[in-house]
Amino acid sequence: MELKWIKKLLKIKKCILSILCFNLLVTSISAQERQYSFNSPGNVCYFSYVCYSPNNNYSPTKRAFIFVMGKPNETAFETFEKDTLKNLPQFYNYQLVYIPNNGINPIEKFKCVNSFVTLITYNYSYGHNNLFFQINDHTVTESDIKENHLYDIFKTVRINSAKIDTASKALTSMGVMDDFKETEFADDAALREDDKYGTFYTEEEKTNDSIPVALKIQKTYFGPALNFNYTLTGIVKDKATGEALPFSTIQIKGIKNGSLSNADGYFTLLKVPTDTSVLTVQYVGYEKTEIFLTPQTPKKNFLIELNPSAQSFKAVNVVGIREDVVLVNKTDVSTIKMTPKKLEQLPNLGERDVMRSFQLMPGVSASNESSSGLYVRGGTPDQNLVLYDGFTVYQVDHLYGFFSAFNSNALKDVQLYKGGFESKFGGRLSSVTEITSKDGNQKKINAGADVSLLSMNVFAEIPIGNKFSSVVAFRRSYKGPIYDEIFKTFNKNSNSTSSGQGGGGGRRSSQNTTVSSYFYDLNGKFTYRPNSRDIISLSIFNGTDKLDNSSSSSPTSFGSSTSTFSFSSTDLTKYGNVGSSLKWSRKWSDKFYGNTILSYSNYYSDRDRSQQRTLTNTLGETTTTKSGVLENNNLKDYSIKSDYQWDIFKFSQLQFGGFGTYYDIKYTYAQNDTSTILDRTNKAYLVGGYIQSKTKLFGDKVQFLPGIRASYFETTKQYYYEPRASVSISVTKRLTLKGATGKYYQFANRVTREDILTGSKDFWLLSDGASVPVSSSIHYIAGLSYETNNYLFSAEGYYKQLSDLTEYSLRFNPRPSGITYNENFYHGYGFSKGIEFLAQKKSGNLNGWVSYTLGQARNHFDVYSDGYYPANQDVTHEFKIVLLYKYKRFDFSATWIYATGRPYTAPSGAYSIALLDGSTKDYFTVTTKNGLRLPEYHRCDISVNYKLLRGEKGDKKRREIGYIGFSIFNLYNRTNVWYKTYTIQSGSILETNVNYLGITPNLTLSLKLR
Amino acid sequence: MRLKIQSFIIIVLFFVTLMSCKKETVEFTDSPVIEAYIEPGNYLRVNITRQIPFSSSVQYSADDINNLQITVAYNNLTHVLTPLGNGQYIDSLSAIAAGTHYDLSFTFNKKQVAAYTYIPTKPLSVTQTTTTIAITKQDSTTPKFTGTPPDPITFTWANPDASYYLIYVENIETGTLIPIRSFKNFTPPANRFRKQPVTLNTQDIRSNEFQYYGRHRIILYHVLPDYATLYDQTNTSSQNLTNPSTSITNGYGIFTGLNADTLYVLVKQP
Repeated sequence: MELKWIKKLLKIKKCILSILCFNLLVTSISAQERQYSFNSPGNVCYFSYVCYSPNNNYSPTKRAFIFVMGKPNETAFETFEKDTLKNLPQFYNYQLVYIPNNGINPIEKFKCVNSFVTLITYNYSYGHNNLFFQINDHTVTESDIKENHLYDIFKTVRINSAKIDTASKALTSMGVMDDFKETEFADDAALREDDKYGTFYTEEEKTNDSIPVALKIQKTYFGPALNFNYTLTGIVKDKATGEALPFSTIQIKGIKNGSLSNADGYFTLLKVPTDTSVLTVQYVGYEKTEIFLTPQTPKKNFLIELNPSAQSFKAVNVVGIREDVVLVNKTDVSTIKMTPKKLEQLPNLGERDVMRSFQLMPGVSASNESSSGLYVRGGTPDQNLVLYDGFTVYQVDHLYGFFSAFNSNALKDVQLYKGGFESKFGGRLSSVTEITSKDGNQKKINAGADVSLLSMNVFAEIPIGNKFSSVVAFRRSYKGPIYDEIFKTFNKNSNSTSSGQGGGGGRRSSQNTTVSSYFYDLNGKFTYRPNSRDIISLSIFNGTDKLDNSSSSSPTSFGSSTSTFSFSSTDLTKYGNVGSSLKWSRKWSDKFYGNTILSYSNYYSDRDRSQQRTLTNTLGETTTTKSGVLENNNLKDYSIKSDYQWDIFKFSQLQFGGFGTYYDIKYTYAQNDTSTILDRTNKAYLVGGYIQSKTKLFGDKVQFLPGIRASYFETTKQYYYEPRASVSISVTKRLTLKGATGKYYQFANRVTREDILTGSKDFWLLSDGASVPVSSSIHYIAGLSYETNNYLFSAEGYYKQLSDLTEYSLRFNPRPSGITYNENFYHGYGFSKGIEFLAQKKSGNLNGWVSYTLGQARNHFDVYSDGYYPANQDVTHEFKIVLLYKYKRFDFSATWIYATGRPYTAPSGAYSIALLDGSTKDYFTVTTKNGLRLPEYHRCDISVNYKLLRGEKGDKKRREIGYIGFSIFNLYNRTNVWYKTYTIQSGSILETNVNYLGITPNLTLSLKLR
Repeated sequence: MRLKIQSFIIIVLFFVTLMSCKKETVEFTDSPVIEAYIEPGNYLRVNITRQIPFSSSVQYSADDINNLQITVAYNNLTHVLTPLGNGQYIDSLSAIAAGTHYDLSFTFNKKQVAAYTYIPTKPLSVTQTTTTIAITKQDSTTPKFTGTPPDPITFTWANPDASYYLIYVENIETGTLIPIRSFKNFTPPANRFRKQPVTLNTQDIRSNEFQYYGRHRIILYHVLPDYATLYDQTNTSSQNLTNPSTSITNGYGIFTGLNADTLYVLVKQP
């Protein structure tokens, strides 16, 4: 394959070597025209030509060109002298180029045109649509033009008959004006400065022209290659904003060789075969772009700019342009990539949500509206490492988990590693979500705002000079209908069913509930690029939730009429994240890149769900008692880490780094103001390093990534080694086989506190090596993917073995004498296994995907059961379908999710024991752990977005300045059970279903400057 | 290609439909509830009951609760208990003695149910500071009490191993009880009360703990930890559905040994 290609290149080299020597020899300069020579004497394409700019500006870019060929055997100068086009005021800003009419037949006449135009228009970025050709040779026919592919070069080719040629009157006719009319929108680069930036919408044309072809970057150099097997380095950016695009794919067309840009957008292509190779650059949500290298292309710091996917191209052009919202990586194992740019196309519940969108992919559970945290392949959200600009985010939920803490306006790129992830990441058992925030527009000030029925969202991107950029985004909920609905769901039991020996209920006395709840988050990023090698950025993130459902009441008489009794119930939860990272990345050399991150992350949660009773007796003495649940969790993480990548060989990249984290995790749990059940403070440091090598073998058909991570944990005073490896084999161009395995340790765990009656809660704890051990897992993954231009099919199987898991339960007394709540931690092990299928249509007006996951997650805790039981997050079948459809300015989408119900434990019965004093005591028994299943979960969401455009209706290209979106969540109002609560009243039990949201419509208005 | 997707969807939908047909069943394990307080001087008696399920659609095991083959092993002997009906069983072969270990065992619902306990020592060196306490009557007819209340009665005993002791107080007067304080509109309290189990060797009863005048029997129980935890307030809170930690496997309830001493106190008007 490669050989064939090189042979072809050599052939081209021979053929057009002569064209290369373009001596830009100025032979004479008359008034305004300039005469030049193309090639050297002896060359078949050696000739003189004349350039003429009526406005005397000879800069080659941003102008329309008219090439003129005279009558048979006429020289360029003769043609120039005779030509009348140059005198037309309409062409004042054009450049006219006169070429000789040599040769006896059309083939000879036009054989040098292509290479000549290429030279003239080198660096020219005004597009095919502004190149015109005037042929004053009546022997040439329309079919000659077609046969010589002149329409591939010029927009219009006019052949003038001798008669018209001499009649200047005819030349001023509208015919030539129309034919050679400048097309301003033909290429973005040629637009008014301001119009360069932003997303545009191109109105679909009624006529069947081939205009959009011009939007593709054209081949401009036809000469031979000068450099072979060299190293090309550069950076990939968004053309509109200057935002670096991390993890974009850069491939050399025709051969397998390729590379990914790093987190800062930098890439290094080692062994580019020739400097005339073609690069294919891809990034989700952007047009797939082909870059034609030329010997003039910089070999270092080469800037590749991608356009955001333009809207509404005609169907024929869409082929090859990926429209997919998410991208399943072909070579990396279990990796999904998403760009927030495309998120608005998916149905949403008030906010575009990255985490929510990942839940539509196979292997990520979608049946938990109450958790933005990801349940990946039978893992829990705490087993998923969430990195935001390098710092760990420990809690990703807003408003009971219905929304994620990440504002999509501030995000640039999100990658999810579902398992078998590389040694670079650590400290978690299941998966990694790596979020990169926007650097901010580096070219122009930008700002925008979104309003939905849930929240308001504003952002501003301000560049200062060309070295500093910043972005600030702020979002706050308001008490709109959606917020109320969610709040009500959580705080009111909407569906009550009593079973067994009857039940009470409905005996609530009137209470005053004052609800004041909100969430907000603030993202900021400040980036400074002192030179082309260094980037320093400061990223700040703060998200806070306050949920208050407190109430108070004072019954008038209770017992004695002279004493007063008042009762207030507090239900206040306040939690949030504060995080910040300072990152310095430096490209030390073409082959060596590194970055160092200093970070701080704090997660806090204060929960006060208590009742305060104040009794004032007849003597005026007041006694106050407080009881309930008082829970406080505070986690601090101070980290430093350095990552380096060194392109050591042409086929291998060495990645290594070191890290250090100091954890300070506190947790207290009290049932009233005097009795604290659990009070733990753990502090420890974790240090370590990793080394891994990304090696490509057998002509890049095999990618092998072995690595090892080693850590030392202060508490246990032990070293932990985590060997890992992944491999992907491209069997054919379309079929790829993948596999991965690895060992993983987790030091900070979110421990579940089992609560059968009111729903389990969880809290963060640091391993102490005893009651909370360091948990570990081993992954085994194998899969295959089959990808065509339009479709992707993939299947992956996984098996994950988990050890040293911890749960906290007050349901058991570890031993009869004395109660030490610290002993109520129980340990177990488990596994999860499954297989995922994905069929995705990547392009076209109608695209989307279908996915199915068959999974099993089992735990084994001696205290609960003798054998394996289904883990809380176990879902057997999960089926998802996502459809996206584009019609003119509308984007329609629909999703449907089906999932098996989750397991739960419930009280199953009761018994009484007579005590020695004659009284009896009631006890309740529960079912076997997770022995029951909630009803299956299913839900359909739909949405439609209408693009808002600036400009007149007739304009061909209009700036997209936002959209109006309407979506319906849970279209057919399915009642999905979230969890069940139980109230035991005088020996009977009242079962209450707490349900997820019913049908919820939402309206979003999103506006932005550019 | 389209055909592939379609057939894929059909297959998945088939599975989905298949799954939807599965009915949710209420899970309930029929485990026996044992109640046995083994006290020296008596015969060993065991009461076996069933739990009351919350759902009416549960299946009990076929075992007859009144006709179980229950064995008890002690002093290297194994006895079969005699059913008395109504879930009651008795071992009338020998009386219970302090220091003896008892192992209970039977099969129920295809599972081996087992429990064990031993009889603790009788409380030793028991003392009380007084046998009589004088408390002023307080009600609407008497002037408001302003004096100092009488000293509490202190009980002491030997407790070298910090085991659990529990005091139980009962008014043993017959006929109408004379209350010490007015109960106004409230339901009159019971004629008995108990203290929290302690691992100390002393405990006080304050004058305001007594509700009625007359003779009171004070029973000082030497109990085992599994019984003591039944009284733990936080732990038995239904919030966590904690079941008492006992020696019983594959069953619920209490199977515990105890030993007691009895004392008396007279509550009178000054």
